[in-house]
Amino acid sequence: MQRSDLYGVMGEFGTPEELLQAVKKIRQAGYRRLDAYAPFPIEGLSDALGLKRNLVPAITLLGGLAGGIGGFGLQYWAAAITYPLNIGGRPLNSWPAFIPVTFELTILGASFAAVFGMLALNRLPHPHHPVFNVARFTHASSDRFFVCIEANDPNFHVEKCARLLQEVHAHHITEVSNE
Amino acid sequence: MAAQEYQAPESVSRLQQRAYFVGGIALLVSMFGAVRAPELFFPSYLMSFLLILGLTVGSLGLLMLQHLTSGHWGIIIRRPLESATRALPLMVITFLPIAIFGMKYLYMGQGEHKGWLNAPASGEGALSDFQKTYLTTSGFYTRAVIYFVIWLGLMFIFNVSSKQQDANPQDRALRFRLKMLAGPGIILYVFVMTFASIDWAMSLSPHWASTIYGFLFVAGQLISSMSLMIAVVVLLARTEPFASVLQKRHLHDLGKLLLAFVMLWAYFDFSQLLIIWSGNQPEEISFYRTRLYSGWGVVAVIVLVFHFFVPFFLLLSQDVKRNAKVLPRIAIWLIFMRLVDLFWMTRPEFTSRAMPTWLDVVLPLALGGLWLGFFAFNLKQCPLLPLGDPELAEAIEHHEH
Repeated sequence: MQRSDLYGVMGEFGTPEELLQAVKKIRQAGYRRLDAYAPFPIEGLSDALGLKRNLVPAITLLGGLAGGIGGFGLQYWAAAITYPLNIGGRPLNSWPAFIPVTFELTILGASFAAVFGMLALNRLPHPHHPVFNVARFTHASSDRFFVCIEANDPNFHVEKCARLLQEVHAHHITEVSNE
Repeated sequence: MAAQEYQAPESVSRLQQRAYFVGGIALLVSMFGAVRAPELFFPSYLMSFLLILGLTVGSLGLLMLQHLTSGHWGIIIRRPLESATRALPLMVITFLPIAIFGMKYLYMGQGEHKGWLNAPASGEGALSDFQKTYLTTSGFYTRAVIYFVIWLGLMFIFNVSSKQQDANPQDRALRFRLKMLAGPGIILYVFVMTFASIDWAMSLSPHWASTIYGFLFVAGQLISSMSLMIAVVVLLARTEPFASVLQKRHLHDLGKLLLAFVMLWAYFDFSQLLIIWSGNQPEEISFYRTRLYSGWGVVAVIVLVFHFFVPFFLLLSQDVKRNAKVLPRIAIWLIFMRLVDLFWMTRPEFTSRAMPTWLDVVLPLALGGLWLGFFAFNLKQCPLLPLGDPELAEAIEHHEH
């Protein structure tokens, strides 16, 4: 039986290649609830983890559209509806003059949506996480690579996971507690 | 990997034959127009010439850009780019009809609007003092020779060095030298194209000037050249050896660059409109007075929607950029839209009727066909990949999915 305070089992690796191989083998063994931790982006790791496409592109597009439409709308509303001024005989809806601001606000809206959308989808900021309970995990931001099989995986079994991690040559295998 | 394994497949030979066939027939048909209606023939010819010039020197620009910046995308398309630059001799030949027969139909103006060839010496419509010394027949010829010499020189340098690289694999010093030459080369390309576009297209209306005009051509040429490259690599990837070389990540990169060039072009085009529109000066606004109203206004909207908005929104999607069926279609569409844009840029100086003539169909087919045939011929002369490039192995390495 499992302990209820267990978050998962973690294995440590020395190189990104080892991590990539390990993640693939763990996925092959049927585990789906796992995550990998590395100090820098590793090409192919998202694919190996089987991460699905996320919503960030769609959120970014919506943010961009909102920024653009809002930017143009604000200028149109100010210049043509609420405060119409004749400037050099130009039409009130001087759309070419509105484009630079519309363009800038499109970018602003899209970038904000991308950054904050990403943070929200990642549930960040997230000051504490069970993996921080492993002392060696500080190396995840410098020179070590970690994979953690999480206890909420339907196939999770502490000894089996530990053995699997041994088979894929993890250097240190640790149980991660929730507390 | 041996050089003979990377020879162009049969499809390139078929492309060459078909392109020569279509181009040859269209050229014969267009001769009829050249004799019967030279005043219609030459505006069409200029537009078609500018399109294939874009494919050629645009590729020269892209070739230098990829030498300068590195990147796997550049290695995949380097040989097609080099083949496109080696079409420059054809550009010299196709320029001759303009230089010998066409100038009096192109640069004499229409009706009371005189061109620079027949501008009155004084009074209304006279050229400025500088223009009188610059826009002359001998100046036009001299500068054309200079442009072609510079382009041919750049073409020669980069093609010969690339051959040397095949013979001396892994030569890092050669790789570095190419990089060092590419930077100044790009500056030269932009300068020469600015002057050439002024001579050949902007001087159609000698009293109107725009400082961003050359950049409009440069950005447009990058679009047409990148579009051609996308279509070519997808065609090559239908058969070995390219089928196992081209990956989705390469298409993705090429698609991203195409999107960037489309945005760059739109940015330049809009900058010109915004500045002239805001200034509202009689001598500047004439360009848009003729191009944004009545029939030409319809063409302007077509260019805005189908040269910018539609490709822009399609190319935003990652799935589209990685799709080997959709991406080349957008690319070929953009080459067609380049032609429409050149039509909109040049033709209003000749007629207020915003309708293409039969020559506008036949001549792009003629020059485009001959160009494509020659390009395909060039493509068969070298291995399809730069086999000696130190970065090749990494560029075609397969990442597991």
